[in-house]
Amino acid sequence: MVLGLLGPSLVLIALFVVGPVGYAIWLSLTNKTLTGFGAQTPEFIGLENYRRLLTSADFLHSMGRTGEFIFFSAIVGQFLLGMLAAVLLTKSTVRAKGLFGGAILLPMVVPEVVASLAWASMLAPGQLGTVNRTLDAVGVTPLAWLQEHPMASLIVINTWRGIAFAMIMFQAAIEGISDDLIEAAHIDGAGARKVFRYITLPLIRGPIFLFLLLTTITTASVFGLIYFLTRGGPGGQTQVTSIYIYEHSFAFFQLGLGSAASVIMLVVVLVLGLTYVRLARVEV
Amino acid sequence: MARAALRRTGIYFVIGLLSVFCVVPFAWVVLASVDKTAGLYLELPSLTIENFRRFFSDPTTPRLLFNSLLISGGATLLALVLALFGGYALSRFKFFGRRTLMFTILLVRVVPATATIVPLYIMMIRLHLNNSYTGLILVEAAYQLPLVLWLMKGFFDSIPVELEEASWIDGCSRLGGAVRIVFPLSRPGLGAAALFTFINVWGDFLTPLVLLQSAEKYPISIGMFRAFSAHNQVDWGLLTATAVLYMVPTVLLYLFARRYLLKATFTGALKG
Amino acid sequence: MARQRSLAIFAAALVAAGTLAACGDAGDESDEAKGPVTLTLLEYQEPRADAVEKMLPDFEAAMTKQGRDIKVKLIRDILPDDQFKTKITQQYNAGEAPDVTDYGASFVPGFAGAGYLLDLTPYLKKWSEWESFYPEVRDQIVQPDGKIYALPHEANTQNLFYRKDVLDKLGVSTTQPTTWPELITRLKQITAETGKPAMVLPAGSTWGGGTFGEGFLNVMLGTGSTLYNTDSEKWVVESPGLTETFNLYDELTNNDLLPVEALLNPEPWQPTKYQAFPAGELPVAAQGTWGWRYDWGPEGAAPIPGLLEKVATWDYPSSDGEPYAVSSVAFSYEVSAKTEHPDEAVELAKWLSSGQAIAEQLVAVGAAAPRTGIDDIAPYSSQPTLIETGKQLATSRSFPPRPGQDQIAQAVAEATEGILTGKMDGAAAAKAFAESAKELLGPDQVETATS
Repeated sequence: MVLGLLGPSLVLIALFVVGPVGYAIWLSLTNKTLTGFGAQTPEFIGLENYRRLLTSADFLHSMGRTGEFIFFSAIVGQFLLGMLAAVLLTKSTVRAKGLFGGAILLPMVVPEVVASLAWASMLAPGQLGTVNRTLDAVGVTPLAWLQEHPMASLIVINTWRGIAFAMIMFQAAIEGISDDLIEAAHIDGAGARKVFRYITLPLIRGPIFLFLLLTTITTASVFGLIYFLTRGGPGGQTQVTSIYIYEHSFAFFQLGLGSAASVIMLVVVLVLGLTYVRLARVEV
Repeated sequence: MARAALRRTGIYFVIGLLSVFCVVPFAWVVLASVDKTAGLYLELPSLTIENFRRFFSDPTTPRLLFNSLLISGGATLLALVLALFGGYALSRFKFFGRRTLMFTILLVRVVPATATIVPLYIMMIRLHLNNSYTGLILVEAAYQLPLVLWLMKGFFDSIPVELEEASWIDGCSRLGGAVRIVFPLSRPGLGAAALFTFINVWGDFLTPLVLLQSAEKYPISIGMFRAFSAHNQVDWGLLTATAVLYMVPTVLLYLFARRYLLKATFTGALKG
Repeated sequence: MARQRSLAIFAAALVAAGTLAACGDAGDESDEAKGPVTLTLLEYQEPRADAVEKMLPDFEAAMTKQGRDIKVKLIRDILPDDQFKTKITQQYNAGEAPDVTDYGASFVPGFAGAGYLLDLTPYLKKWSEWESFYPEVRDQIVQPDGKIYALPHEANTQNLFYRKDVLDKLGVSTTQPTTWPELITRLKQITAETGKPAMVLPAGSTWGGGTFGEGFLNVMLGTGSTLYNTDSEKWVVESPGLTETFNLYDELTNNDLLPVEALLNPEPWQPTKYQAFPAGELPVAAQGTWGWRYDWGPEGAAPIPGLLEKVATWDYPSSDGEPYAVSSVAFSYEVSAKTEHPDEAVELAKWLSSGQAIAEQLVAVGAAAPRTGIDDIAPYSSQPTLIETGKQLATSRSFPPRPGQDQIAQAVAEATEGILTGKMDGAAAAKAFAESAKELLGPDQVETATS
């Protein structure tokens, strides 16, 4: 009975999600390419691809850039702004919460490609670009943001995109704090800041950590947002690992190497994922 | 008293600023879509619905919308049907290895598409599913299944078994009881699942980029990418009109789904 | 009862999903008729698609006269080079490529090596007109395995184009510069007068493959160093010639002779070749035959009135005393190895590379005929600059495309970008190039040289 009901789902997942993981490991041990004379006779080359990647400045830099991207946009940006929004909108006397919440939600709910397009205009070079015009008011010279500060621009965009996710997770957590506790603290003379630091924050440590894990994982796999705007350029400055994998697999068609890079990325993500699954302690 | 008022103003200012920051980038998208002389820069539009009209009358663009609907709709339908039965099984049958399976499913959710797209691509060619709607729909459904299975299982968990037990006593078969009693009750759960699945597949970029090569099968995400890449010949009015048509469904669906957002976030439903 | 119903619903849903998908897929099953043959021809650039589309009815009529029923379906998929390359590779790999394709000779080695292309050698040997193709062209298109997998239908020559009228006005000599120092002196003279950059030479990553193919390579061919060792089949990524070339870029940048800002932004050819050069502000440009039509011709992207009076060409200065032009085989027709109609497909390729058909295409994009017999055919006959270029083919230098050229081009683009941004000098760029090339190609495909 169970097999019949659950079977098809498991088959689909096994075939299209789990299967590729195994196949990636297999491919990573070969020198499979799709162009050039080697393409007709792929060979088993063992761990050669891994050796090459781990000594490749390009690949290591892409990991570094991914780390930079994750740290600044997710761990710092989304966390801080999301927390700010959550604190200001939960258990507070602010009116029109729905309106503010809805506005903040917008960047997260639109498709990736639309978010990129919107920012293409914001960051447009010259005096007419929206960001440039705004900064002109405080006397900053107009810049071609995506050419001169591409990583910083993308960090801002990804932060913008993920604030709502953080906000929602923290809102839910803060909602769970007993009002009596906060009342008691107020009676004891604690101001808003003290309440946040000594009561709220410690109580939502769990959800905070879960959020950080989850957003690290999802930010590591961001592809479309970056590819649409910069393709990893200029000069590779925004080539994070997901783009490195795509470039080597679908521009140079070095599938063996691309698979090895995929496996490395998988290992990192799965370690984080396992931690998340353990800690989430979700009721089965 | 004054300090409290100052604080309140401060709070409104901050949250207002944040909200404005979140919304401003869309201003150009919307304004340019109704601008007769749309360019890359934000400007006051010379109003027209010409761009939208052109989207529907141009030979290639309506196809993009059709493809997106077909792919997202197909994947959602498939995922829902499979998860309806699968989620029920996970909820009602305490079989050996169920815990491990549940955790594995949760772990699978975490696997990024960028890390599996390369071997998946080769697999699809071997299976003769490359560059086909069928192949893409199967893959998209597979990507969404872990989340949907979790959602449906959680949902079924919240429906008391007694209801089915009553139906068995009345003479219904094991599954029959489920179908007659429980499945109809699952509509809200299915609704939430459908929403999330549809939204996730609708916005997908990488998978169709790699798995589709025929221009007439491109969904809107790829169509927009190709249009944007033609750097000096971009038809900004048409492109932003496409973007508006592309984002309106997801925005509307999220407005519907807001009720389910909180419950779903505990399982990290949203991003992915 | 209910169980049957639920199973029925389940089945119906699956069928519905399946039907939806199948409806979508049905469109791409082409009907395989036994008698008449339909060939698919892919063009990914608009002017080429336009030129070819005009000629197809003539081809079909010519075939009918021969008693063969061949129809051609033109597939227009207008894409930038890199996106096209990804897509066609995927199509080749999946066995779903069109029968006949049209792309630059630089793509051919990779695809030929992977076995995607039909060996045209036996067909060409039997073709009487193959002898009318210039020997240089025929040599360049042969692959390392000795076979020919593409039929060239255009050749290009690259020179330094300059504004005669502007240089005359500025009092700068317009005789052929024999060495780079000589040219640089003149460029400095120009910049001193105008206060603006004097020459656009492709560099940096936004110019894409053009940085290598339309700039760096041309200069490099004057240094005497080999870039590709045909014996070992490896790229020579460190050599005096490479260092010399990077140093040249360094010198040009340091003296403000290059339009650095434009080169660092997307579509760098726009403000330079399409705006500043026609306006006379940037009077020297590395350019190819296509400039006469595609860029600056009356129907080009940035027409220059009085083109033939205002613009002339220099050969590239060199360090061995012999200035030279650089020529290459450009777009060629290829037949998919998996085509079901090889004979007919080759017929199409041959026809499109002859007579009126080739004349139309050459004039549409601005290229020289890779063969004799076209000079008298209209509209080619009315293009003196193109005919002239054809004559230069025999005496110019060339570099046949090799597998892995994409990676080399990328490494060059990044290294020259380092120079443009001031982050590296010539020597550092040469080193960065060598390392990058090694990484992109793999250590077993590169070597170094000392001469």
